[in-house]
Amino acid sequence: METTIKKTTRSALPLHRSTRNMSVKNTLIYAVLIIFSVINVYPIIWMIINSFKSEKEFAVNQFGLPKTLVIDNYIEAWGTANLGVLFKNSIFICLLATILTVLIGALASYFLARIEFKFKNALYTFFIFGMLIPIHATLVPMFILLKNLGLLNNPITLLFPYIAFHLPITIFILTSFMKAFPKDIEESAIIDGCGIFRIFWSIILPMSRPALATVIILNFIYNWNEFSFALVLLNDPALQTLPLGLASFAGQFTVNYGAQMAGLTMSMIPIIIFYLFLEKEIVNGMTAGAVKG
Amino acid sequence: MQLTGKSKAALIIGLLPAFLIYTVFAIYPIIQSFYYSFMEWDGFSEMEFIGLQNFGNLFQDELFWNSVGNNIFVVIASVFGQIPIALFIALLLNRKIKGLKIFRTIGFLPVVLSTVVISLTWSLIYNTKDGMINEILRAVGLDFLAQNWLGDTKWSMVAVCITVIWQFVGLYLIIFLAALQNIPEEVMEAAKMDGASEWVTTWKITIPMIWDTIIVAIILCISGSLRTFDLIYVMTHGGPSHSTDVMALYMFNETFSNLKYGYGSAISVFIFFFSLILIGIVKKVLGQKFI
Repeated sequence: METTIKKTTRSALPLHRSTRNMSVKNTLIYAVLIIFSVINVYPIIWMIINSFKSEKEFAVNQFGLPKTLVIDNYIEAWGTANLGVLFKNSIFICLLATILTVLIGALASYFLARIEFKFKNALYTFFIFGMLIPIHATLVPMFILLKNLGLLNNPITLLFPYIAFHLPITIFILTSFMKAFPKDIEESAIIDGCGIFRIFWSIILPMSRPALATVIILNFIYNWNEFSFALVLLNDPALQTLPLGLASFAGQFTVNYGAQMAGLTMSMIPIIIFYLFLEKEIVNGMTAGAVKG
Repeated sequence: MQLTGKSKAALIIGLLPAFLIYTVFAIYPIIQSFYYSFMEWDGFSEMEFIGLQNFGNLFQDELFWNSVGNNIFVVIASVFGQIPIALFIALLLNRKIKGLKIFRTIGFLPVVLSTVVISLTWSLIYNTKDGMINEILRAVGLDFLAQNWLGDTKWSMVAVCITVIWQFVGLYLIIFLAALQNIPEEVMEAAKMDGASEWVTTWKITIPMIWDTIIVAIILCISGSLRTFDLIYVMTHGGPSHSTDVMALYMFNETFSNLKYGYGSAISVFIFFFSLILIGIVKKVLGQKFI
């Protein structure tokens, strides 16, 4: 009853009143969204802006734009943090781990998705179980295992945990994608005399392109940002990856904020550019990875 | 596809690489940590079998339980911080709004950054002397509120949790937004025709329709924040005086700083079961399958 009364009174109101209510509401919504966005992005902008200020200017003018662009911070950060080496190591390990994980994972997914064999479901569950393993529970035994294998402090040390721990999500995403293909794809290929790996390489793999993009991005970002395994398994400064190197660099130079901010900005820029260009794929990949993982 | 005898070999070639590397470097370490957890071992000298003594010590170790408590605090702060904020913003964004794309891009940005970069940035923000927060407080004349955010046991945990929340709100925002945009438009139209207010529609229709997604997000949030390690390692290293210690960090320090490999492995085993059981319980309570 009450609602009907309200409704009639509302429609009886002069028109401009309700449009004004609407615009007040819209303004409020925008205000909240803008505050949220500022909180989200300002810490990053604050750091980038201040990375161009001298120590003195930072102390007195933290919120304004830099009066002159000081690039000394960048020179110092690049030199002392050894950013060149860190970038090289990170790119090397990320690319190699990503390529291997996706190749090995795609091959396994192909058999798990398209071919009938005994214990198939058990094997699939076994792989998927890996998504539940808390990686920190494996830091100590991983360290001991790699030490016993003589693989600590080696340029390829990180490949082993990175591939092993990202295979489950890779296999999960690829298998569910490949399962959806119609059954007769392989049949006509077999009639044409194609071998089983040939079918994988020239038919299934190209058809899986969207899912491959997802797992490649997912693997790359996970590996690029990974810290725990790098911390435990690498001591040699010449082999450190970007996150590890940055953490120890900041530890040494707690006083010089400028250089620290310059180092952080430089390490952040590539991933932000990568994100702005491939936003859709990255967002899809990371949400898929999270929801399924 | 059925395999003929000849291609049995192909099957092995195809599955073996994945099986081997996964078993050796993901499954075997877990099994090994069970084995080491029964030993007393400093990592160098001979191991000594001591049965369940590590676990006995663990249950009486106050510092360990302190880290479990802190870990649960992080989980609770994440669930009650990230999920409501993300849902609220997603609901605001789920209308015909100008600039939706920009808000979404900015919202998700922190998620792609590495935890180390985020931790170091926020350490600068919390800095006592020149940090952004204290500077803002001074600028608006609230000097007395300025704190040593990360160095004071009263504030350290709150400061760390705010950073954790900031880092991952965007992930849940995008997950919720995707779910909201999947709600058929007719449902919303029908509600509007019936004269339901936006408030009522949100509570009675929208939220129930994405309830499954909310549950997935809560589970994700719990398992993610249970694994917090990098962020705290970089920001506070568990300090001051263990006020931000979490399980994985305590295990790391016991093993690699105090060279108690056996004891550290016992903590690993605990983390393993604690995570599995907690996620199992939550899934059960919220009505989802375990795997």
